[in-house]
Amino acid sequence: MILFKNVHKEYPRTGYALQDVSFHLRKGEFTFVTGPSGAGKTTLVKLVTMEERPTAGMVRISGYASDKIKTREIPALRRRLGIVFQDFRLLKNRTARENVAFALEVTGASAEQINPKVLRTLAAVGLSDKADHLPSELSGGEQQRVAIARALVNDPFILLADEPTGNLDPKVALDILRVFKDINLRGMAVLLVTHDRTLLGEHPRARIIELDQGRIVRDTANGGAAG
Amino acid sequence: MAYTSREAFFAFRRSPLLTALSIATIAFALYTLSVFGLVWTNIDRVLSDVEERVEVIAYLVDGTDPTETSALMREVAAYPEVDSIAYLSKEDALARARAELSDYSALYEDLESNPLPASVEIALKAGYRDAADVADVATRIARFAFVEDIKYGEDWVQKLDFLQNLSLFLGLVVGGVFAVIAFVAIGATINIVLISREDEIAIMKMVGATRSFIARPLVIEGFIKGVLGAVMALVLLTFTYSLLEQRVVSLSFYSPLQVAGGILLGGALGAVASIMTLRRHLATW
Repeated sequence: MILFKNVHKEYPRTGYALQDVSFHLRKGEFTFVTGPSGAGKTTLVKLVTMEERPTAGMVRISGYASDKIKTREIPALRRRLGIVFQDFRLLKNRTARENVAFALEVTGASAEQINPKVLRTLAAVGLSDKADHLPSELSGGEQQRVAIARALVNDPFILLADEPTGNLDPKVALDILRVFKDINLRGMAVLLVTHDRTLLGEHPRARIIELDQGRIVRDTANGGAAG
Repeated sequence: MAYTSREAFFAFRRSPLLTALSIATIAFALYTLSVFGLVWTNIDRVLSDVEERVEVIAYLVDGTDPTETSALMREVAAYPEVDSIAYLSKEDALARARAELSDYSALYEDLESNPLPASVEIALKAGYRDAADVADVATRIARFAFVEDIKYGEDWVQKLDFLQNLSLFLGLVVGGVFAVIAFVAIGATINIVLISREDEIAIMKMVGATRSFIARPLVIEGFIKGVLGAVMALVLLTFTYSLLEQRVVSLSFYSPLQVAGGILLGGALGAVASIMTLRRHLATW
């Protein structure tokens, strides 16, 4: 699944973003990655998407190792990841349905497959009735649901969310967390990066990996000790 | 496929001015190259016509001993450059002058003595007919003491040689400059497209679109621009050609195969310019 083995990441100008980070995410697991800003959370996400490679150590995502993967293999890896961001990143001139369909269109899905799949996925995030709305006609929470649907539509093995509730008010944030929990209940792994500690309390059974200054200071999978 | 063809025409709408500039510069690049290419082939054709008639004529001093003349002919005939050699006596020369210049035959009829010299006419083999070889053979023959004068088409063979090289050089330089401008203009159009589609491309990378999927519409667009530029060049060239054809002697034009090749060359130019710009932009993933 997802394996970090003694991962160090150093940037030329800002120095170490991650130091000696090791963990192993299993199939179907719900994991929070938390910590203050600057702790290395975003760097961790970029290492999972292979936008960045570790300075030392190794990252392995579903059979792709960071030291062996070729640039042309990265699209295949990305299709196995569902990625959600804080700022939704929807295309403003396309409806909810078209935004979700976009992920299928650009990865070479056939035209007949696209429509039923898109409608099914929008239903899974509770947005069937807003399929033909533009992002500007949707609330923040609804826009994030569209983004989640887009992340899910390619059947990834994990949903990777970087501060997905960062732009939402607390009540809506909990709604969105509920969407992630629902998806996880159907067997999909979730890696949710957040600095919002109140979310953690809403899902007590989830695994928590806490980062501070680039190091893991708590990992509940290891009885709460640093990994 | 729907995505690719829809996107390929995006830039035409997005930046019509730069698109027009790209097409025009490709057109000028190919036009310049093809005009000078046409000059080159036509000079080449004239030269090969001329070259078939290229001969060196050695005029002999009056009263040259026939044994000396035949010695010269044996020696010169042995030169590797020489195809054939013929002796023209004073009488033959006068007869030929009378025949060729019949309008002036009165002039020759009154002559008491024959003013024309005997000569040896030397034709050269194909491959030895350029200016340098002709001059070389002439110099060697000039060393015989009884050779009074030597004539060969040195001046205009050299001039045509020079013109041909000049047209090749100018075509490559001017055409090359336009080609570079075309590359820059195409690159700039693609930059604009990439910047205006930054969000979309970021999402495509995120959801796992391949590099070739993102690049394909832009490469196709570059190819279309190149082909349009080449067609424009062809129109300009045809116009130029018919103007020259009316005023100057008959000229040869490119064969249909060469025209097709030129249009493909335009397309390739546009596609390569696109690929080079995209390489820089889509290097990181």
